Amino acid sequence: MDWPGRHVISIEDFSRDDILHILQTAAELEAHPQPNLLAGCLMATLFFEPSTRTRLSFEAAMSKLGGQIIGFSSAASTSAKKGESLADTIRMAEQYADVLVMRHPRDGSARLASQVSNSPIINGGDGANQHPTQTFLDLYTIAKLFPDRLTHDGPPLAITFAGDLRYGRTVHSLLTALSNFNVRLYTVAPRGLEMPAHHLSRAAERGVIVETLPTLHEAVQLTDVLYMTRLQEERFPDPVEFEHVKATYRINAEMLERAQSHMRLLHPLPRVNEIAQDVDATAHAHYFPQAGNGVPVRQALLGLVLGRL
Amino acid sequence: MPKRTMQVEAIDHGTVVDHIPSAVTLRVAELIAEDGDQVFIGVNLKSKKVGNKGVVKIASRELRPATLSRLALLAPHATMCIIRDYQVVAKDPIPVPDSFTDIALCPNANCVTNHERWPTQFDVLSQRPLQVRCLHCERDFPASELAIR
Ligand SMILES: [Zn+2]
Repeated sequence: MDWPGRHVISIEDFSRDDILHILQTAAELEAHPQPNLLAGCLMATLFFEPSTRTRLSFEAAMSKLGGQIIGFSSAASTSAKKGESLADTIRMAEQYADVLVMRHPRDGSARLASQVSNSPIINGGDGANQHPTQTFLDLYTIAKLFPDRLTHDGPPLAITFAGDLRYGRTVHSLLTALSNFNVRLYTVAPRGLEMPAHHLSRAAERGVIVETLPTLHEAVQLTDVLYMTRLQEERFPDPVEFEHVKATYRINAEMLERAQSHMRLLHPLPRVNEIAQDVDATAHAHYFPQAGNGVPVRQALLGLVLGRL
Repeated sequence: MPKRTMQVEAIDHGTVVDHIPSAVTLRVAELIAEDGDQVFIGVNLKSKKVGNKGVVKIASRELRPATLSRLALLAPHATMCIIRDYQVVAKDPIPVPDSFTDIALCPNANCVTNHERWPTQFDVLSQRPLQVRCLHCERDFPASELAIR
């Protein structure tokens, strides 16, 4: 598929080759910055719900490539509040901007926008559905930490997902994307928040084994990457149950003493309780560099869909 | 004409939708009937193929394409006979398209299609059972969970 003008809506739309091309492009831009690549290009950030982290990362990516930025970051400040349809807001914005980055609380909103817009749409999160640039930055982080391990034959890279694996869209998308590569996957989840069966069977169809582990202790010892996610209180019908699980799903520096020295801990942020502060000073903590990797990955996507790479 | 369909009054011209699950037979009748149509309905009929079935006969005409795709969602494993001069001239399964556009609502309350005026699209994942995926929210559903409009 051609990159110029391509929409970035869902990880499902990207083949293994597409993913590798994005990761390689990001690595090249990180090694050889191109401060004028997107001079004369305008990016609109249409944030119908606030997400400071994602918006800042896109704005940093665009700025570092010499592009310009316009946008809004809350539905309250837009005509959506006046009853304008999403389709009309997109039609209006594409008159000004060369690329539209959007975040919206409804599932499927980015797909709808891509049906309207001639300018490429980049999905910065549509409700509980997709957040593809997070997935690409997670993959880029893993590929950078363990060069060639994802694509080469040999022992598969052991990756563990822990936390809310039922509702967490981040882990679902990452699982889908990782199914293209040489990995062995493990899961650790509180009862009721396990990975949905259809995600497991899709991975199995692609030859990736996913195994369940009882606690974080086992995971810490055997995994190369531990990918933690946040537990959300609203997912628990019983607050007492939430307090109990919260206490169990917590990594601290002492637990990490049994980890392999190369093991790295990732988290899409923001973290709340699941990673203790004392972990930050260990060599295993890698969630802040992970967030930083969002910039080269988003630079690569912007450069590709705008036809400058 | 096969003997079992004689349990409901025979028609000289028209369309017979057979092997409908009894539970959705009345909805099938509601879907395919238009003003002025003569409609014959049979429910809880014995069938070797599906156990307990319904039949809807509509006199004098064939079904429109738009009706057919709705019918495929509602009763995907039914069969359809075209009758001319009391003879069955064609007997086929209901054709299931690759996707259903703008005829059903997404069961996901947070799907954008339930909040904007925009056509839904459901792509067929498997025929038996009929499973579909919403193009927008990317969730998978059994066809029976979709409300048809
Ligand atoms: Zn939907």
